[in-house]
Amino acid sequence: MKARMLATHVALPVLAIAAATAQAHAADFDWMKFKGKTITFLANNNPVSQALLTYKADFEKLTGMTLKVDGYQEQQMRQRLVTVMNANSDEVDVFMTLPSREGEQFAAAGWYGDLTAMAKNEVAGEYDPNGLSQALLKAATFGGKLTSMPMNIEGPIFYYRTDIFRKCGLEAPKTIKDVEAAAEKIKSCDSTVTPFVSRGLKPAIAYTFSNMLHNVGGSYIANGKSNLCSAKGKEALDTYSRLLRDFGPPGVVNYSFQQISALYRGGRAAMAFESSNELRTVMEGGARLKDTGLLPFPAGDAGQVPTTIGWGMAVSSHSKQPDAAWYFVQWATSPEVQKKMALQGIAPPRPSVAKDPEYRKWIDEEPVRKEWQAALDVLATKGSSEVGYPIVANPQSREFIGQAVQDLILKQKTVDQACADADKALDALIALN
Amino acid sequence: MSATAATSTQDRQKLEMVALSAPAVVFTVAMIAFPVVYTIWLGFQTFSSTGKQSFAGLANYSKLISDYEFWHGLWITIALFVLSLVLQLVFGVWLALVLFHAKRLPGIVRSLFISPFMMPPVVAGMMWLVILDPSLGAANYILQSFGLPPSDWLASPTWVIPTVALIDSWQWTPYVALIVLGGLQSLPPSVYEAAQIDGASPFKTFQRITLPLLLPTIVTAAILRSVDLLRFFDIIYITTQGGPGNASNTLNIYGFRVGFEFFNFGYASALMLTLTAIVFGAVLAFNRLRGAVAW
Repeated sequence: MKARMLATHVALPVLAIAAATAQAHAADFDWMKFKGKTITFLANNNPVSQALLTYKADFEKLTGMTLKVDGYQEQQMRQRLVTVMNANSDEVDVFMTLPSREGEQFAAAGWYGDLTAMAKNEVAGEYDPNGLSQALLKAATFGGKLTSMPMNIEGPIFYYRTDIFRKCGLEAPKTIKDVEAAAEKIKSCDSTVTPFVSRGLKPAIAYTFSNMLHNVGGSYIANGKSNLCSAKGKEALDTYSRLLRDFGPPGVVNYSFQQISALYRGGRAAMAFESSNELRTVMEGGARLKDTGLLPFPAGDAGQVPTTIGWGMAVSSHSKQPDAAWYFVQWATSPEVQKKMALQGIAPPRPSVAKDPEYRKWIDEEPVRKEWQAALDVLATKGSSEVGYPIVANPQSREFIGQAVQDLILKQKTVDQACADADKALDALIALN
Repeated sequence: MSATAATSTQDRQKLEMVALSAPAVVFTVAMIAFPVVYTIWLGFQTFSSTGKQSFAGLANYSKLISDYEFWHGLWITIALFVLSLVLQLVFGVWLALVLFHAKRLPGIVRSLFISPFMMPPVVAGMMWLVILDPSLGAANYILQSFGLPPSDWLASPTWVIPTVALIDSWQWTPYVALIVLGGLQSLPPSVYEAAQIDGASPFKTFQRITLPLLLPTIVTAAILRSVDLLRFFDIIYITTQGGPGNASNTLNIYGFRVGFEFFNFGYASALMLTLTAIVFGAVLAFNRLRGAVAW
């Protein structure tokens, strides 16, 4: 971790200097430099890439390049990437990545091209690399190398039904204890709704659970060992699983974002702790537009430490045309394109775009959008991108976190047993790091 | 034409036949052999979390013995296999008999009966995921409207395997029925006429004539379904991803996760080769059974 922090402290000033140097290069910048080339983009078929690819023709017109899109669902995209990268193939030039999940792993495997120099030497005047979220750039820097550029900012936020809260005489929750009390009250006040819902599907749990852990003051690792059996770790495991077990919907162990959004949008949940990206889905049809309040997840003993992540665009280390690929990355993460994406509901990773008058006007059209942006502002300033263990085997660590929570939801283990089993497995993973 | 000339022509024709079919044979062998040989080779490699590879000898196979997830996955695979196969054979034979005897059944009804197996498993999985949702699904609504308690279906560690077996059986029972129906239509009418003359009841006729004569067909259907059931993946991946916990984590799902989520292709290959050996073993056993029941 120290090496990572040192590297980050070196890399970010380099990027800041790059912004200044970029002004000198900007005059020479030619978007048509790689005219005639074809770039292959491996995309996760999610709202972020869908919003971006609306403007595919603009990129092709601006650069004279052809953009070939290879789009899959998230898991299938990773499988394709693993196959391509293990074969040292140059089939993919640019790919989408979640640094918080696979960053350490892909960086250690050498799959990311180093963008540090390109962000320094090959930037258009209007690009402003320093205007991107510093927290997300930091999260994408490994061993002093900038590995991806942020496409969006997101994190789990707290959706609650203002009408149900009013009917049950409740105030908007300020603390985790308030959430528990509200769930208890709603259970007796309105039996037709599920009081609280969040992620219960094993691999998906770490995304929301990490916020709970950090808010109560816990950490995944202490002194090089897994720390789930610390007092704070146990508190987070107990509270998260109890909320889902006692106040969640039946079958919550199979719930991820699709089920949570459907339940809340259908008016069958009073509180939902789910991704900020789900706003558009949750508001589809307009039924929840006027009765929903949005907050960052309420505070624990350590206050609010929201989970903040973002999809990034990386250049493959096997690409035979990394410079041309960088042009696509630069265009896709430019202020102009990110503003267009923001107007489609993709939260911008650039504070300047978030303050743009046109974007503000869109935000001001609905009170719920204002609350959404306010929650995102907290995510941007206070967020931690630690989702699961900050180790190379991060995806595997999420399995063990999820297993511990599911064991508690299903009452298959006590908190002590669940955390001890998880710590044992996670210590073995940490030792491999 | 002399004998020598005739031999020469035959030799040339043979050579031409070999030359013309060789590319197809080489291509087919390569397409089958390469992935198998590559997987065997991968089984002797170990991969770090970052994909770095090194020779591991038999380490992956010795790891299997002490790996709880492997034995658990094997148990889940076998439980799912037995439960689904029994359901599909019993209801497949029943459905075939219904279709065989209901001569006046309209074509559209017959088509509906056998349509589920034409549906892509992903679509079937998604459809059942919605139906069986404990909060929003139709299944619990129906149960409750009859005064029965709701079930957690796919979210219950106890019920997940029977539920997945039911989904698979819903989809594949018509396929078994279609095979058995073919068998029924080929049975000699003379034995039924003899049974009728002897005054055999319908049940006795089924028990003593139809079932024994159908056994080779039923075993053929069992072989075809066994291969699929032991490799069961798609519906579990769509509906539970191996959960809740690891209650539906079959060997195939486990191997997939080890390979494509944790990047340990060496161990994943060892797992999959072991599963392949189990599939071969099952097919061989059923083949022997078919030989024993042939008439």
